[in-house]
Amino acid sequence: MDALAHAAERVAATNSRREKIAHVASYLQSLNDADLARAVLYLSGRPFPSTDPRKLSVGYATMRAALAAATGWDAETLALCYREVGDSGETISHLCRPITNAEPLSLQQAETHFETLRKTRLTQVKVDLLTSIFQTHAAPALKFFVKTITGNLRIGLQEKMVEEAIAQATSQPADAVRAANNRGGNLSVVALSARANTLESIVATLFHPLDFMLAQPIDETKELADPENWVAEDKYDGIRSQLHVANGKVKLFTRGLEETTDAFPEIILAFTNLPGPLILDGEILATSFQLLQQRLARKKVSAKMMAEIPVHFVAYDILMHQGELVFDRPLEHRRQLLDNLGLVRTSQQTPLQTHAQIEALFNEARARGNEGLMLKRRGSLYESGKRAANWLKVKKPLGTLDVVVTAAEQGHGRRAGVLSDVTFAIRDGDKYLNIGKAYTGLTDAEIKELTKVLRALTIEKFAGGRVQIVRPEVVLEVAFDGLQKSPRHKSGYALRFPRIVRWRRDKRPEDIDTLARVHQISLGAVLPEKSVITENPEENPAK
Amino acid sequence: MRVEFKPEGIHLPAIDLWLDPRVPVPAAWLSHAHSDHARGLHEAAISTAITGRLYRHRWPLPAHRTQQLLTLNPGQSMEWRGATLTARQAAHILGAAQLEIEYEGERLIYTGDIKRRTPICGWETQPIPCDHLIIESTFGLPIYQFLEAAEAQTRIANFARECLAVGQTPIFQGYGLGRGQEIAHTLALHEIPCQVHHSIAALIPYFEAEGYTFPTESANGAILVTPGQEEKVPIPPAKRKTALVSGWAALDNARARSNADVLIPYSDHADFSELLTLIAESNPSQIDIVHGYAAPLAHILRQRGYNAREARL
Repeated sequence: MDALAHAAERVAATNSRREKIAHVASYLQSLNDADLARAVLYLSGRPFPSTDPRKLSVGYATMRAALAAATGWDAETLALCYREVGDSGETISHLCRPITNAEPLSLQQAETHFETLRKTRLTQVKVDLLTSIFQTHAAPALKFFVKTITGNLRIGLQEKMVEEAIAQATSQPADAVRAANNRGGNLSVVALSARANTLESIVATLFHPLDFMLAQPIDETKELADPENWVAEDKYDGIRSQLHVANGKVKLFTRGLEETTDAFPEIILAFTNLPGPLILDGEILATSFQLLQQRLARKKVSAKMMAEIPVHFVAYDILMHQGELVFDRPLEHRRQLLDNLGLVRTSQQTPLQTHAQIEALFNEARARGNEGLMLKRRGSLYESGKRAANWLKVKKPLGTLDVVVTAAEQGHGRRAGVLSDVTFAIRDGDKYLNIGKAYTGLTDAEIKELTKVLRALTIEKFAGGRVQIVRPEVVLEVAFDGLQKSPRHKSGYALRFPRIVRWRRDKRPEDIDTLARVHQISLGAVLPEKSVITENPEENPAK
Repeated sequence: MRVEFKPEGIHLPAIDLWLDPRVPVPAAWLSHAHSDHARGLHEAAISTAITGRLYRHRWPLPAHRTQQLLTLNPGQSMEWRGATLTARQAAHILGAAQLEIEYEGERLIYTGDIKRRTPICGWETQPIPCDHLIIESTFGLPIYQFLEAAEAQTRIANFARECLAVGQTPIFQGYGLGRGQEIAHTLALHEIPCQVHHSIAALIPYFEAEGYTFPTESANGAILVTPGQEEKVPIPPAKRKTALVSGWAALDNARARSNADVLIPYSDHADFSELLTLIAESNPSQIDIVHGYAAPLAHILRQRGYNAREARL
């Protein structure tokens, strides 16, 4: 773990992707097989392979209790230290007591500790084990041991880069390593196979989520040079999901590769009898996205909730058919395989000819309560894990509003020192009413400057200083894709997908948009409560 | 002795003396020449000779104005309205000093900004036992641990050499008075050529007068700028690396705040353990803490049996 920590610090100390990968590759090359298998996982911020469904279950409270026990610091001081550092592993590395005879922490020991922590049910036993680890080993190893537990190394190293480093360290093509990891999902196995030159032998693992193919956004469909080479589908306002089926077993995964099987038992039931092994790409839908979120929030769902908020799965692509990956078959072929399954709900594909047709289809999709259009290039392959130019999403923002910032929140990790999340309001007379919260849209430099400005406007601090209420002076322009009724916000509305377009230094809080204008937008263009999708087989030409 | 902590600064009403006031006052002690401590035209200003010269450079006297500059070098004493004032060495920037005030049988020490470790440029801190200590806490949390000067100098030189060896330009961020000159002096000791931003270069003669050497100007070496200026250096990102030499570099999130690649945690302020050492050495019966993490440090000191409180200015 000390050598891993040393390599990780070198990775952190450069902004260059190429240099980061080179540092990891040279470290991986120095390891024996057993340690290689461990190191690739830990460097990806995982104590266990992602194919392993078991969880470590070490929360912040457990970590804090162990830290208090190991260092002797009181809760108040610890909380403040954590706030300033913004990362548990780094906090521990600063606070653990210097020990004269610290034992090196081997990767094998780390693996044993992760295993013991996972098997342990009692929180107090976990706390005791962590405490003794904190008192036995030294800072650099502990820092990355704990970062592996919390799941984020914060050194600017994504799993994709670890894949590339494996490729470099074993002289394999990067694409081969990436594809093998996507199929198998176990980075340890991938690293060992790469070293043994047996990557091709890694087969697709069912019930491990494959990377989704993502679409590039376009605002102006006129940019499309060759409409006749594309097909259109509605872009649904649901939860993009991957559905795995084999031998009566069904699992669902989100785009974030989280498993959501337990939240949607009726979907599981509906697909149980499908012949597998099979993997579908599609969308989970309810009558509105708002209601869908309520379903997703529950780990276990009650019969009452299932009755109140019915959901279903609309399939639009197929990734595995009869146990075979079909990524590299053309769109039309995959569509045929999908249609042959005879599912009740699949997306409707319309071949395109003209730009005017795209406009018409877009408006129809919106009228059906869908978000916009998906355009897919004819003959294209399923490019797993890529935001490829062969899928385009046409969303068109509903509009922009000028709003004023009323509160700001400190970020985590890289953004620990700055106010990266802002809450904003519209105006009603001389009152400011919150309408949403946004995270991104500004550059690092702008966030830094905004932080300075907002800190000077702070009226009150909450949550140990993380959240600051500010005088409403900073005006931002935000774009959004829809409006929802929301009891959580004083304005009575919430913006869908709000994003900061620009900082309007030219405007004063008096100049921002009013509640009356938001009412007006909501009357003219608010997304309808009832979302209609193509679920009638007659409407689907493939049936 | 009664001490008043006001937005304008620290005031000792019994002898009408202000300590590092932020506004012009009749009589001020200037602990060192950073502009948040030595600022404005006071009628009378007391400081070490070096601080006096740096202060005059930064706050020139307009033609029609007069000002009484009183020099009190470390070890020297003067009588002031019934009190005895003695300057004591403070390790911080060149010329920094603590002020010892003896009045009616009580000894008060105002540290100004201070650290306990040996600085690259400047003198060592002279610890003085006292009854009442007024101390700063810029880095008064246990997460802050800094390097010894020698180790920091090694890292500065190694960073510069490693960059130059692969054809990259090493850029250092350092403050205009203090850190900037310490980095430049370190590069000179290691014979690494360097270009220095004018705001740092302007004060180099005051350091040369105290015997410190500086590198020759060369376009083919390191670049030394004040924080924030590194973005203006016309070198493409792939051809440069930036190091932040600062107490804030003790935390990894300094990378995001400063755009630095490499962090070298060296400061002219005390880290947490140095603060504890300084306080133990002066062993005061009353501690007032100003700047930084005053409330949490007071809380920690009280747990250790000290009579400590946060002094809000």
